[in-house]
Amino acid sequence: MPIGLVVYPELCHGCGNCVVTCPVNSLRSPEVAGGKGPTDEVDIIMMVEDGSIELKHSEFCGKCGTCVRSCPVFAIRLEEVEEAK
Amino acid sequence: METTETIENKNISVQRTGAEERKLQFKDELCTACGLCEKICPVSAIEVEPTGAMATTEQESSKVDINEEKCVLCGMCACICPYNALDMEIEGESIKTMEAYPKLIKSAEINDETCIYCKACETACPRDAIVIARELPERSKLVTGEIEIDKETCIDCGICEEMCPADAITMEHKQPTSDSPTVSSDINVDKDKCVYCLVCKKACPVDAITAVCRQCSYGEYDIKPEDAEIEGSSFIDDELCVDCGWCQEICPVDAATVEKAFEGKITYDQETCQGCETCVLACPCNVLSFPQSAESGDKPEKLHIDEKYCIYCGACEKACPVNAINVERTGIKTTPIKSKSWEKAFESVKN
Repeated sequence: MPIGLVVYPELCHGCGNCVVTCPVNSLRSPEVAGGKGPTDEVDIIMMVEDGSIELKHSEFCGKCGTCVRSCPVFAIRLEEVEEAK
Repeated sequence: METTETIENKNISVQRTGAEERKLQFKDELCTACGLCEKICPVSAIEVEPTGAMATTEQESSKVDINEEKCVLCGMCACICPYNALDMEIEGESIKTMEAYPKLIKSAEINDETCIYCKACETACPRDAIVIARELPERSKLVTGEIEIDKETCIDCGICEEMCPADAITMEHKQPTSDSPTVSSDINVDKDKCVYCLVCKKACPVDAITAVCRQCSYGEYDIKPEDAEIEGSSFIDDELCVDCGWCQEICPVDAATVEKAFEGKITYDQETCQGCETCVLACPCNVLSFPQSAESGDKPEKLHIDEKYCIYCGACEKACPVNAINVERTGIKTTPIKSKSWEKAFESVKN
């Protein structure tokens, strides 16, 4: 089975570490690269909305695992999925 | 004829029975998910999992997925794998021992005649493939001198024992009693440990120690050079060794020689790189590192690449989530390739 990006919103504390550390996000959005949540109209992989993580565009994911390493509560993982997104 | 696949502890075995029994074996712990096998497989039977995910996160699955329905057990993947993670056996014999199959020309050797057993290679080897065993000379044979403690003058303060850098002085500490009102019953110098540094003599508050270093006074006349010789041996584990060149580069006496199978070039785009470290973690040869700032305000290059250690496997390129790294393979050294299709397949991993 392929490996894909999976989020567990019920575990998420909404810290935003994953959003900021994600190299794809920071390349796409200068605001995210600067450590801010995006307010610009750029599509990024994941965002914290209403205090919890939400996958927006997992098709951009390069599966590097940086977000996984930055998450303090295992709310974002790279794991086997039925269909790789 | 039937092809079956078994997976045990992430290790994969694809076996085909018939007139000739063939068995492809994959060892997960040696695999770096570099992607060369996937690239060379003529029937697209191999899928390598995302390199970054495999390098930075715990995964329950193997680093590669072999589709036994597609695999024709040709052995190309086993011949190209620079990490010895794949091997194929025909009738129980590894194709790596067969002349008919091309092998990557790569090697690493340490010349024990030249080696001074400093262990730099053992420490530097990114695959922990090197073991340097060494026997050090006896310390007592490399120093010469005299030392005596005048036990009558000694006041049992223990300063010399505490200061001795070689732990050569031992005092028998005790609680004083009315019939023996001293804090120590004896004090002795172990002359096998003493290096005649004279620290004790200088520190003694009552000048109870007489000591002299004969080398300081008279030179090395009674030190035999053969007593200073260091005996040793080196060992490279061929299965773990990936011929990256670290041992050769770090060796201070040029005792290590490495030959690499791939020639190439590795470049990265500093603008695109976001410094996520995935490539650094994915590289099996410690080619990549993040330079530390020398002082505050100093902005070093984002990623340091030293091609001396690179074997151009492409793991970093595959791991990079923003495609900032480019690994170009321009040459590949193999033993003679006997078939045209194999030659073409080996050419195809160049770019």
